[in-house]
Parts: sequence; structure tokens; C-alpha cells
Amino acid sequence: MLWPYLYVLPAVGAMAFAFGYPLVQVIRDSFYAGNFASPIWVGLDNYRGVIEDPAFHQSLVNNLKLLLAVPVLLVLGLAVALVLNDRIRGGRQYQAIVFLPYVLPAAAIGIAFSFLLQENGVLNTALREVHLGPLAQDWLGSSRLAIVSVGGLVIWQQLGFAVVVFTAALLALPPETAEAARIDGAGWWSLQLRVLVPQIRPVIELVTVIMVITMLTWVFTYVYILTSGGPGYASSVMELYIWRSFSNGANGTAASVAVMLLGMASVLIGLSLWVRRRAVAA
Amino acid sequence: MMMRTRVLAAVGAAVAVAVAAFASTAASQNARPAADDPNDADLTYWYWGEDDAPGANGWLKKQVALYEKAHPNVKITVVTQSTDTLTSAFTTAAQTKSGPDIATQWATLPVLTPAWNGSSVPISDYVPAKEIKNWIGTSENMSGGKLWAMPQYLLGIPFVWNKALFKKAGLDPNKGPKTWAQLLAAAKKLKAAGITPFGMGNKDGYGGAWFFSLIGKQNLNSIDELKAAMIGKAKFSDPKYSGFYGALADLKKKGYLNSDVASISFTQGLQLFGQKKVAMSWITDGFAAGAAKTLGGVKGMGVGPIPIWGKGKLARSFDTTQSSSAFITSWSKHPRAAAQFLTFLHTPQALRAWYKATGVFPADKRFPASLVKDPLAKQRLKLNLSPVSVWPENFVPPQVDGNADLPAGELITSGSGSPADAVKLWEREIAKWKSQHPDEFRAYSKWVAEG
Repeated sequence: MLWPYLYVLPAVGAMAFAFGYPLVQVIRDSFYAGNFASPIWVGLDNYRGVIEDPAFHQSLVNNLKLLLAVPVLLVLGLAVALVLNDRIRGGRQYQAIVFLPYVLPAAAIGIAFSFLLQENGVLNTALREVHLGPLAQDWLGSSRLAIVSVGGLVIWQQLGFAVVVFTAALLALPPETAEAARIDGAGWWSLQLRVLVPQIRPVIELVTVIMVITMLTWVFTYVYILTSGGPGYASSVMELYIWRSFSNGANGTAASVAVMLLGMASVLIGLSLWVRRRAVAA
Repeated sequence: MMMRTRVLAAVGAAVAVAVAAFASTAASQNARPAADDPNDADLTYWYWGEDDAPGANGWLKKQVALYEKAHPNVKITVVTQSTDTLTSAFTTAAQTKSGPDIATQWATLPVLTPAWNGSSVPISDYVPAKEIKNWIGTSENMSGGKLWAMPQYLLGIPFVWNKALFKKAGLDPNKGPKTWAQLLAAAKKLKAAGITPFGMGNKDGYGGAWFFSLIGKQNLNSIDELKAAMIGKAKFSDPKYSGFYGALADLKKKGYLNSDVASISFTQGLQLFGQKKVAMSWITDGFAAGAAKTLGGVKGMGVGPIPIWGKGKLARSFDTTQSSSAFITSWSKHPRAAAQFLTFLHTPQALRAWYKATGVFPADKRFPASLVKDPLAKQRLKLNLSPVSVWPENFVPPQVDGNADLPAGELITSGSGSPADAVKLWEREIAKWKSQHPDEFRAYSKWVAEG
């Protein structure tokens, strides 16, 4: 009876070492100040300091603002996938074009866009050239627009992923359902929205969860390269806040925000799974 | 059952062999001679300098090749660092006491903070005093009676103006503004002539940090007054310290700064003057030397001290610093080898090669001034050797610099915050630094008491 446990022991041990140990260590560090060599127990002071810090509030709000990009991504991704699913001419080429940004390194994209979006960068110059000067904005230097620019860039890059996943899900659907709907007189919109989309609902939920996690914990590179969190803290996000704290040697502060971020992501994922279970049960 | 036992035995034997192999490897590594032979070492050098002095990376590469040729058992790996992550990358490495043998940081606090944290060793313990006495600017990196880093160059920040654009705006091209009022008057005329008066880049906050160092210091009588504000003996909200944000906001409001100030990087901002896109700026000696080539030397550009804005004694000081400094890490197994290489960078051939490659003056009394022939360069050298020179940013704790000095200026240049918001940010970050780093704060206070 002991053998099965012994067989899984190496895997469990590896998992505990790779995930469990760092997690416990981060939680432990969040209760200490000072450097790793001589940590000082401060209890909940790191959490208090973070909660009272306006720079953290700003970072948190920005992460929440980025969550607004999730429905945009889903709607756009779904729309493109549905059109491509209609076997349009050149569909595969379009799919490759849409997917291309997703395979480019985020750092390279960030650098390219940081030049594109400057006040006198390519985008604004082009807008001015075609007499659309009033639309030219300081995309990176304006505290109002900096986080919008980051969100736009994330949407542009992640759209390919959503499209590919949705397209794959649509292609996997049995063709009979759509055929039956067509015979019953369903129009294009009805077919898409009432027949196809409901059938790929689990996939939409999965992409939603992935995108939520992305917006919370996977945008550091874009923010760091595009705006460095500025102007001021106008486009800072929690990841950047963690990095800044850690690079300043404030390990405890960095750890406490990491724990909070983990908690938030876990709650959101748990919530999503709960909603999904309820939907399946209904 | 028998089969399972055999499999388990085999796995156990494999694990035992692997553990034994690992242990023997580790033991052999530990058994390596740890002798610090200056002529037999592998050194890693985290280097930064190109953004101050274009040509610096190429110079170091050549010096390393020369040194390795002369010392066949020494191997030096240079890892160039970026401006954005210069401090943070080293701070992160220092957390685990691993990384380079030689590191670069900006002078004073960025050098002394790791020293106080036990991440570096005093260079004065490894380099003879008779050598060190030739180095210029060593006072920037002194603490506890020891020198912690080696200067390589003297970086002055002169005020520069484009003579052709001045002429176009009806200004005297041979007379640069000497006071802030004159600068504003010139800016008004330049703007009226359709010329961007003043250029800088502040997406990353360094443009604002320079404004603090160049203009912000001008109401102070000595740098000790700034130190007092860092340890809470004076308030940064006092206009004496923070009034300069009003001047920066004024430049922005009047449209005297380049329109893309908030969206281009500091380095891009430094290039604007040489690209003839702005009429006035303040740039490093390295960029001034480069701009002189594109603008036609003394006929095309003027060089002078920063216009006077404040009323303190430091208003008339020039802004020269060694900027970046090299130090030996406490975890290096070859501090003597590292020190010997750093000393090599101050040999006459290295100093000459440095000046030739960068146009920036070496921080060494042995550098012959006779090598400076260009009239503009002569003016810059004279400014750099001004009796009082100080770079205030060096005296701000790195955390406060990164979290307050840099973003506060961004608030102003982006128009998203007022000078009052900028001051609030400083005060908040000074308080945060004290609470997050009580050890650093104690060391800083002790250093202030040393005088």
C-alpha cells in the first residue's frame, strides 16, 4: 500500500521544493524588514506600510483599470475568431497576422511602442500628416493616458492568443448543430451568438481567467519599458511596486505585496471557478 | 514484488551515485585555492559609463584587451549596465552577496550605501595612498576615513546654447544667459521665433533629477543643508529646498520645454541639442564634445555655467562630479587583482586613451592639460576645475532618489502634478526610507556627523 506514495514522492518533493518552499519563504519574509542576512521581525508593519502608501493605491487602481481590457480582449478576440471561422478567403493568413504579436518578445514590443507612442513619435507624426492632429496625444507622457497606452499594447499583443484559442474551440464544434440551425432559418448573427458562442462558453471562461491573471501579474515588462510606471506613479502596477521595493532592498515590503497579489489572483480564480461550476450545474 | 525491489534498488543506487558525484564536485570546488593572486584571476566587471561619456564602452574593451595581454592569467568579463537598472541591479545582486568582482555606481550615496551594507570593501585598503593621491574627487566617496571607490572621469554639466538659433531669434549668439531671468527672456524670444527654447527628456525622471541638482541646490549654502533635510533636521517642504519645482513648472507652463519632454528618455533629451532641435540645454561633457562636432565647435555653440536662479552660496558652484565610480565587492575572491586592474585604468596611456575616446576629462591629476587643445574643451576643463563643485543627487539616499526625486520631476513635466504634490512625494519617501531601512538611516546619520 505504501508503494504508490513512494512513487509519487519524488514528484511531490519536487513540487514542494519548486513551489511550496518559495511560497512559504515569501510569506515569512513579508513579516520581516531589513536585508536577508539580518532580518528584523516587524509583524504586520510591512502590510500596514503598503496599505497606507499612495503609490501602492495607485498601482492597485492601475491593475484594476487594466482589468477593463479583459472584456475588450474577449469581445475582439471572439469577433475575429467568429469571422475567421466563417472560412473567409485568406483566413489562415489573417490568423497568422493576428497571432504574430503574441509570439514577439514583450521587451521588443515595448521598445518599439515606446518610440511609436512618443509625443513626436511615429503615430502622432502620421496623425498630423493626415490632418488628424487633434487626435495626436502624449500617449506616454500624460498621466491620464499612460495606463491606457499600456492597456492598448497588452490588448494588441494578447489578442492573437484569444483568437487562436477561440478559433480552435470553434473548429472543434460538431458541424451538425450549426447546420441544423441554418436549416431552421437562423441568420448569421443568431447562428454566432445563440448557437456557436454558447457552445464554447467553457473556453471563453478559461481565456477570461488567463487574461485576468495576465492583467494582474504579467504586465511588468510592458509597463517597465513603455513608461517605467510614470509619469510619477500614474502607470505603476503592483508588479512594478514589488520590483521597486525589492530593488531598493525593502524585501519585506516587496514580499507583503507579492502575498497580497497572490491572494487577489487566487480569489479571482476561485470566483471564476465557482461561477463556472454554477453555470455547469444549471 | 521482486521486480519492484530491484527497481527500487536500482533507483537508490543511481541516487547514491548522483549524490556522491555532486558531493565530490562540490568538494573539489571548495578545495580550489582561494589565494588572491593579483596576476591570476577571473574578474567580472559590471560597467556603466557610455550614457555619460559616449565612447566609454569601446575604451574599456581596449583597456581590458591590453591588460589581459600583459597579464595572461587574468580574464576580465565586462558586463555593461543600463542607466535604468544601474542601482537596482546591484542592490538585487547584493541581497545574495553574489555578482561582480568590480561594480559601478554613481558617486557618494549609491557607492556608500552598499559600503554600509557590507557589500563592498574599501579600495583604499588595496591601492597605495601614493596612487590614490593622484585621483580627483575622492572626497565624494569617503566614509569612516576610508575611500570606497575609484573615480574614472570628471563629468561637468555645462549650460550650452546654439549660436545660430540665438542669432535667428535676434539674440546675441556670443552671450549666453547668466541668470534665470536672462534665460527666461531668451526663451521668450526663441519661442516667438518658432524655436524650441530648452531641451530635456524626462520619461524616466532623470531630467527632473538633474533640475534638482543644477537648480535646486542654488538656495543652499552648503551640501550639509541637504543632508540635514534627509535626516529630518530640516524640512524638504521649506521653499529653500523645494522652491525649484516652481521654476520647472514655470518653464513647462510657458511652453519653453520641448513638447515631448515627458515622453522621451533622458538620453534622448541629451541628444536634442546636438541634433539642433533645441536652442539651449545642459548636457554632460561627453555630449557637449559630441555636439561641438555637429554644431561646428566654438563658432556654433556656447558653453557656460548654469544660469543663476537661487540665492545660496551653491548658486555659484559648478556641477562637476566623478559621476560613476568603480568599487570592489565584498564577495570578490580577487580584491587585489581587481584593485590592480582598476589602478591600471589610471596609467598615463589609459588616461590619454580615455580622453581621446570620449572627450571627457579623466579624474586624475596626472592627465596633462596640454592635451586639451579645442577652445570649447578648454572652457569646459576650466569650469570643471572650479573651486566649489557639487552634485546634490549624489547625497540623496538611492531609495529616495528613485522613489521621490525621479517621479516628482515627472509630475511637473507631464503637467499631472503641482510643485506641492512633488514636495509631498519627497517627504513621504524620506519617511518611508527611514522606516524601511533603519540601518541605512543610522549609517547615513553617522556619516553626516563625520562631516
